[in-house]
Amino acid sequence: MFMLETQNLTKKFGKFTALDKVNLQLREGEVFGFIGPNGAGKTTTIRVLLGILQATEGKATVFGKDAWKDAVEIHKRVAYVPGDVNLWPNLTGGEVIDLFVSLRQKSNKEKRQKLIKSFELDPSKKCRTYSKGNRQKVALVAAFASDADLYILDEPTSGLDPLMEQIFQECVAEIKAAGKSIFLSSHILQEVERLCDRVGIIREGRVVETGTLNELRHLTSIFMNVITEKPIENLAGVKGVHEIEEKHGELSFRVDSDDIGNVVSHISKFGITKLESMPPTLEELFMRHYGA
Amino acid sequence: MRENFAHTGRLVRFMLRRERIVSTIWIVSIVLFSVALAPGMAGLFDADARQQFAEVYNNPVMVGMLGPIYGADNYTAGAMYGGMMLLWISLTAAIMNVFIVARHTRADEERWRAEVVRSLPVGRLANINAAMILALILNFILAVTLGLGVFAAQVESMDFISCMLYGMVTGAVGLVFAAITAVFCQLSSNTGSAMGLSFLSLGVCYMLRAAGDASMMNTSNDGVNKSNEFLSYISPLGLAQRSKVFVENDFVPLIFLIITAILISLLAFKLNSVRDLGQGFIPARPGRKTALPAMLSPFGFSFRLLSTMILVWVIVMFSLGASYGSVIGDVPGFVSESPEYLMLMGVSEEMAEHASDEVKAEMIVDGFGTFVTSMMTLIAMIPLLMAALKLRSEEKEGRAENILSRSVSKTKYLCCFTTIAFALSAIMQLATLLGLYYVTDAVTSANGVSNPFVLEKVFKASMAYLPALWIIIGFAVLLVGFFPKATGVIWGFYGFICFTTLVGGMGILPNWLEKISPMAHIPIIRVTDLAHLQSDEVSILSLAVMSGIALLLTTIGFIGYSRRDLLTH
Repeated sequence: MFMLETQNLTKKFGKFTALDKVNLQLREGEVFGFIGPNGAGKTTTIRVLLGILQATEGKATVFGKDAWKDAVEIHKRVAYVPGDVNLWPNLTGGEVIDLFVSLRQKSNKEKRQKLIKSFELDPSKKCRTYSKGNRQKVALVAAFASDADLYILDEPTSGLDPLMEQIFQECVAEIKAAGKSIFLSSHILQEVERLCDRVGIIREGRVVETGTLNELRHLTSIFMNVITEKPIENLAGVKGVHEIEEKHGELSFRVDSDDIGNVVSHISKFGITKLESMPPTLEELFMRHYGA
Repeated sequence: MRENFAHTGRLVRFMLRRERIVSTIWIVSIVLFSVALAPGMAGLFDADARQQFAEVYNNPVMVGMLGPIYGADNYTAGAMYGGMMLLWISLTAAIMNVFIVARHTRADEERWRAEVVRSLPVGRLANINAAMILALILNFILAVTLGLGVFAAQVESMDFISCMLYGMVTGAVGLVFAAITAVFCQLSSNTGSAMGLSFLSLGVCYMLRAAGDASMMNTSNDGVNKSNEFLSYISPLGLAQRSKVFVENDFVPLIFLIITAILISLLAFKLNSVRDLGQGFIPARPGRKTALPAMLSPFGFSFRLLSTMILVWVIVMFSLGASYGSVIGDVPGFVSESPEYLMLMGVSEEMAEHASDEVKAEMIVDGFGTFVTSMMTLIAMIPLLMAALKLRSEEKEGRAENILSRSVSKTKYLCCFTTIAFALSAIMQLATLLGLYYVTDAVTSANGVSNPFVLEKVFKASMAYLPALWIIIGFAVLLVGFFPKATGVIWGFYGFICFTTLVGGMGILPNWLEKISPMAHIPIIRVTDLAHLQSDEVSILSLAVMSGIALLLTTIGFIGYSRRDLLTH
């Protein structure tokens, strides 16, 4: 059983198709990165999974239960951090955290205090005075202070400074170590690269790629820098080699993942003195799907 | 200095653009309402009836409520119209101005929109300057259209100059409250409390002039002038009425109103110039670090969200009831001889002839009591609707998601707000009747007379209105469930109910139209112990049917809400 699963999930708002046959799975204990540009459908997917929106077609299940019908049952074991945290201007951060935690279970005072301290949040201030980052902290403290099985985080670090982002990553590592599952939507790719086991890329309502980072890298090319004793002959003729450039006797080019073996055996004939290979960053993967 | 105001003109144009719908609706509604009643009031009463009305009206209760009567010697249609309308129309204009100024000053600052504007090459005082100029423009438009509109109704005794004065005074009162709101928006760093303080000052101004006007009646009895009329001159609303429109057309109060508006605006400018953006003068205290356990359940939390509103409205209802009660003590001091008025209160001419002065006084009190009960029921609908629509506004602000993404079902959360709305219906009615009954009790016993009201009857009379209140709640829940984008329609329905209740029975509207309002189906129950006055027969069946309709509307609303998506932005 998956912690969370969608099967051909489709959501339409009138004529506009926000999600088009989305298929996703999150296994137990896994951190899944859900990446895509603004407006691609990340938040809509999450809202369907939370039973806030009803799927037009297809299935969305969490813990094997129907996301719409069994919403309340599901939410008992889910912690959620929205991307756009809207709070009540006349309540304090402390009051809101207590409310959020208590609507799921008994509060864990110790954990709450510890988190408020490490996120450097002043809980006695009214929410109207909080900046975006501070409102985000309220939602993060409430989520991490509750003992859930599944954490759904929608761009959780937007508005946080790098120090706080560090704290966030530590919190994620902690719950991951405790065997919890995390569904992390983000467009900060370094964050996803660092934290996630598997990644799904969504674009214009369609999931264009899912897999482990290694699997995804496999689909694309790696970058090589080579210096050889003798000039390499007929490099452009080798299958899978692209974008050859020469600078101060150093060749740089891209190689399709499947053709690395051939390419290496071809260039080794010319006496390698330097060989660097760099796997593509997630950014490059992402740009390949989304960019030009 | 000049650069403090740089680009004010551009901001004014931008604000006018933002106002183009809301303010148009306000101005058009005010003008239409005022103009529509002009020929009606003239046509409904002939000269004799008007003269009699003036005599009936000339007592502390009515004067306290509506203001002093001018031109009573020759009570023309214009004199009557001015006396009945100016106070309410200028009060409405004041409310419009509170919203306008708060929206463009403190609300923009609180949402940090003003910061974006301030980062542009605009002057430090440009925003408040533009907001005041905006208010000036809108009030001027209101004044002119109101004046022209009323003049266009072509009622005799209402000439062009007096119509324009009527419009101008209304606009000037609006401007004074625009300035007052601007000051409160400097003092408080939060829009809600700035608006609350502005409305409070409006209420105080109404009460001041009520006390001042009512005290004018004291002179007649023993010849000694005990009048505190200066209280009315302090209040912009009382001052406005001193222009005696359609009677003497005194322009001096208008000039004073405008000077007042300018002086208060200058204070707002001064306060604005010495404070930082986003800050206020009323310091923000640190709040609770942890939540009270009482707010940690869905019901407790929804109550917490509404608690300030509920408290304010309980106080408002109690003090309105109390203020009506406080004038009743004066009633036995004067007895109207007018049979028309008694007939209006359900006393036949024959009965009136035989009745002693005491009985007549009691009849007046009774009529007044039933009238107050029905008016207060209309006012009570406002907090009920606010409670019933709260979940929709939470949804609009993106905050309902916070609760519904946790283990709270949509039905349960809606149920919390609906339950509170239904409970409030009884609470608001109770607050009114306690204020009315016990303050009357205190005043009458101080005067050494007995309280004309019978608690049990007042209770019955106000509780009989509950099914009408429930229907409007049910209608609101239905809209939240099925037509969430059109919940504003409920305020149109509310306006319709108010209108039909006010003009009901005058024969202006067709009968079937009046019957659409739930208020038309509520029996009138007499509130004093008078054998002469017949209460309507209380039909348990019709009340039960109305309650059933309310329940049905609510249930349908729940079904719609549980089935629909949460609307996010």
